[in-house]
Amino acid sequence: MASMAVGATARPNVLAALRHSGASPYLFIVALAVAMYFVLGPRQFVNALTIGAIYALVALGYTMVYGIIELINFAHGDVFMVGSFVSLFVLTNVLGQEGSASDLGGIVFELAITFALTMVIVGILGVLIERFAYRPLRNAPRLAPLITAIGISFILQNLVQIIYGPSPVNTPQVISPTARVDIAGVSIGWVNIFIIATAIVLMVGLQLFVSRTKMGRAMRSTASDREAAALMGVDINRTIALTFLIGSALAGAAGVVQGLYFGNIQFVIGFQSGLKAFTAAVLGGIGNLAGAAIGGFFIGFVEVTAANFGYFVWAQAAVFMILIVTLVFRPAGLFGQQLGERA
Amino acid sequence: MSAGQSLPAPVELRGSGIRSRLSDFSDRHRSISVLVGVGAVAAALPLIVLLPPFSGFSGQTVWVDGFTIAGIFILLALGLNIVVGMSGLLDLGYAAFFAIGAYTYAFAASPFYGNEFPFWPMLLVGAAMAAIFGIMLGAPTLRLRGDYLAIVTLGFGEIVPITILNLSQYTDGPNGIGGIDAPTIADFTFPTTGNPWPYYLTMVGLIVISMILIYRLQNSRLGRSWMAIREDELAAAANGINTVTTKLLAFALGATTAGLAGVFLAAKLQTVTPNLFRFDVSFTVLAMVVLGGMGNIWGVAVGAFIVFMIQSVLLKQLNLFFDNVQIPILSEIDFLQYQFLLYGIALVAMMLLRPEGLFPSQRRKRELHTEEDAEFGELGDPMGASPE
Amino acid sequence: MKLTKATALAAVSILAFAACSTPAASTAPSAGASKGELKIGVTLPLSGGAAADGQPTLKGAQLAIDEANAAGGIGGYTLKLVPLDHAVNGKYNEQQGAQDMQTFVADSKVVGVVGPYNSAVAKVQIPISNAAGLLQCSPANTNESLTKPEFGALDYRKSNPDRINYIRVAATDDIQGPAMAIYDYNTLGLKSMLIVDDVTTFGKGVADNFQRKYEELGGKVVLRQGAPADTTDFNGIISSQAVVATPPDGVYYGGVVTSGGGLFLKQLRQAGLTIPFTGPDGIVNGSGSDEGSLINIAGVEAATNSYGTVAAIGDFPGKAAFDSAFAEHFKADADFKTPGAYSGPANACAVVILKSLEAALAAGAADDAAIREGVRKYASDPANKFETVLGTESFDANGDTTQPYISFYVTDPAAKGGVGDWAFKEQQSFGK
Repeated sequence: MASMAVGATARPNVLAALRHSGASPYLFIVALAVAMYFVLGPRQFVNALTIGAIYALVALGYTMVYGIIELINFAHGDVFMVGSFVSLFVLTNVLGQEGSASDLGGIVFELAITFALTMVIVGILGVLIERFAYRPLRNAPRLAPLITAIGISFILQNLVQIIYGPSPVNTPQVISPTARVDIAGVSIGWVNIFIIATAIVLMVGLQLFVSRTKMGRAMRSTASDREAAALMGVDINRTIALTFLIGSALAGAAGVVQGLYFGNIQFVIGFQSGLKAFTAAVLGGIGNLAGAAIGGFFIGFVEVTAANFGYFVWAQAAVFMILIVTLVFRPAGLFGQQLGERA
Repeated sequence: MSAGQSLPAPVELRGSGIRSRLSDFSDRHRSISVLVGVGAVAAALPLIVLLPPFSGFSGQTVWVDGFTIAGIFILLALGLNIVVGMSGLLDLGYAAFFAIGAYTYAFAASPFYGNEFPFWPMLLVGAAMAAIFGIMLGAPTLRLRGDYLAIVTLGFGEIVPITILNLSQYTDGPNGIGGIDAPTIADFTFPTTGNPWPYYLTMVGLIVISMILIYRLQNSRLGRSWMAIREDELAAAANGINTVTTKLLAFALGATTAGLAGVFLAAKLQTVTPNLFRFDVSFTVLAMVVLGGMGNIWGVAVGAFIVFMIQSVLLKQLNLFFDNVQIPILSEIDFLQYQFLLYGIALVAMMLLRPEGLFPSQRRKRELHTEEDAEFGELGDPMGASPE
Repeated sequence: MKLTKATALAAVSILAFAACSTPAASTAPSAGASKGELKIGVTLPLSGGAAADGQPTLKGAQLAIDEANAAGGIGGYTLKLVPLDHAVNGKYNEQQGAQDMQTFVADSKVVGVVGPYNSAVAKVQIPISNAAGLLQCSPANTNESLTKPEFGALDYRKSNPDRINYIRVAATDDIQGPAMAIYDYNTLGLKSMLIVDDVTTFGKGVADNFQRKYEELGGKVVLRQGAPADTTDFNGIISSQAVVATPPDGVYYGGVVTSGGGLFLKQLRQAGLTIPFTGPDGIVNGSGSDEGSLINIAGVEAATNSYGTVAAIGDFPGKAAFDSAFAEHFKADADFKTPGAYSGPANACAVVILKSLEAALAAGAADDAAIREGVRKYASDPANKFETVLGTESFDANGDTTQPYISFYVTDPAAKGGVGDWAFKEQQSFGK
């Protein structure tokens, strides 16, 4: 199993990472980002970062769950979708918000409440899903929970469809999408800045949590060897539940961001985003937090690049082609532990 | 049990008498028992639907037509079972091979390219094309394990329809290809509607042939190699199994039935579009295999039939059903809007109740629960043939 | 949690039995009808995401049937609407559509079918209904290859090329696309365009037709891109190289709102592009108060300066009456209380079938087969005219409407008390 420990111990510092054998991919990513900036120009660069941030947030949940119980949680994309609807509920039904907030205080207050409530509610949803659909199957054949994940995905979609209807639904864009700021002569939307910053804060926070806290250590040890961790006194059930709580909360945050950025959500958005996030997680090396985040941004860049040059219809195919080629040369993804022999 | 031929026969608690003699016979004459088994089911189904309550639903021709489509999914499930169930390689993009079979026939027998190749040889060509793509997919994935393989196959399953969709000048893109020739025998052309029997019998024939071949494969050296790889690839390699060839053959042979199914679908619908081969086909077929019982050939066939009937008949007809039974509250509900919910609940419930599938492969079961060996065998097989 | 195999089998068979144990349908004779019951099939995607397309369309037909039954049925028969849903996993599915058509064909009481919604589904259904000679009237299909031999329609009616059984009330894409091209180039004076389609049979088809005509007129296509139906992020397209280098005068979106048309428009405006947004009937789907409409999703401000074609007569006297009758009839329903873009056309299709049934019965058709053939023959006969909510309809030798009107609509932000709606602007006939 590619362990989460790899991502956890990798230094954010590029120079430090260089000393490790896994440094070349990081260098590669930095070089790629710089190249992209010149190829795409600042505006498209920001577009790519923004959409990539959303994919990255969803990908983190995928990779965490996979890292700890080796389950491709196909319901995760729909957990993200539910997150976007929970944020809609919080904004309109709890806070009574319509359209954009006018003053900075209002924006901060509303977003803080929305993120907090959404992440808690969606996190609990994730825990419930784990408790009732995956835990009973922990010792079953490996594909059994995969099928229940697909079942849960259908259930979530249909429930949201029943409540909010099949049509796309508008969400209040608390930060006005037309509010822009000039940075070095480039006009960038405040909402883009907010989304990228939020994603980075959440990722760094997660990284710190996993690498520095006791619970984070429990997660890492469970991921690398469940039995040994149990023998050392780690409560496996609680740790796995915690993983689902955090992963789903991040998907919830991504859901808030989705509504904020696009101002419109629909019960079907989960699958595509989930698929892309899953791809991102694998590209980065599944189980590796930094890898998943970078994978998410990478997919954002592939999409925007394809659109930029008029080949948007091929974007999805290009993502998968890159994925396949990457895996041929690095069978455990860009940052995954290159384990030879364990599946 | 075939297991008895390939492994040292374990001590089995078998019932005595006719039943055991029957199963001994079916072990020794696998082809005959498949022929008789499928033949009996194929003969019984059209008769059952003549009886109430089925007859009140729709006429026999419609039922038989539906069974024909169900047969397409049975073929798909049989093929995916080779890859997932027997060889343990998780394939999430199986619909790609289905698409390749269908487009092969569409290119060969439609006005789009002006070709008029006959259906029967094209069945083989479609299967061969799918096999070639199976190898193309398999080659780069040989080094990959477990779920990395899954994502590559998922990617392949997306790339194929996207390519068909976007190479409009060669495939007519989202328009699809229409006017595909129906199969013919001498001067007789298979009718589009009214008489479902020619397609039905063809499908039954395809299933019988596929099942016999798959049973033979399973008991061959190759089949045992697949299972060895499934259980422990390292150990298999150490024992002299060429894992590269074996895995490639699993992909190739698994793809062939999808190719057959694709050619058949194209000939049946007379139109193909990329929309028919979306990811949800791959997922549905995977659910069929897992629910039926991975590795169990009869099991996945039955699983495919059940899932198809739930998705395509049961869920679509709930409204009609509750309208007719006149239960006050239920007949008010529009069940069409709850299809996924019910389908999702059915998937979760069936998996929770039967984590190894409805009809688990006896051999896999034995591998998973060695301590429960005594239990297996006492029930025999639900289909009248032993599962492996 | 361990079940024995026997119980599992039993559970499965109970499930299967429950699926099928329907008492023989249509045994109860309806009050007031002496001769029994005839059925009109409806084949639409009715569940999942496609419900937003299918359900209002179904209700358009339902209204016509309910009104006919309330008026005492047709020729002594009561009518029953039989809707079958061919959405699988939430999207239209051709193979399920084919199965549903087999169901209708096999049921001798079905005299005609309303639907389908998606041209791709029509492509698998027409061969079946054509072989059986069952009348099919589509409210929404616009793909030209379904009817016109020069675009390959004979591929779909191989069994009986000359026996027309598929008719439609919408004008085809080879009329609709070019109509907007002319309008954009000449009337709106847009000399360069960004064209985006949703990579579906409909969207790509109509955009291709638009582009062909537009370039023929001398217009310049700055960029042509496809954005698959599940796209949410159009920013990459909007700020793409070509668009930034040569800002276009206008945008054409080939597709429907559920594919992302609304989001595209919204993001276009957010990026500061206020150029005209034009598209086919797929974007003209209701006022700002209708959930899922272009104006609703993009917002009334963003939707300003949008133009759409509708492949039907826009200015018909029956529209207001139809809208209010529809709202009245379905006011108790939970969803879809107001007509969708294709409720009117579906109503017209049902009316065409009912009128044809009336004529066939009057002409003495007695048994089921004769009634079915009579309906088909009367409806597809170019000599017959039908009064519908869309105006007077009749069909040419291929089954296309003989009045291929294209109506041009523009968004009116002030309509409906400020929520915005589409306002009829003008209509042109593209008949021969």
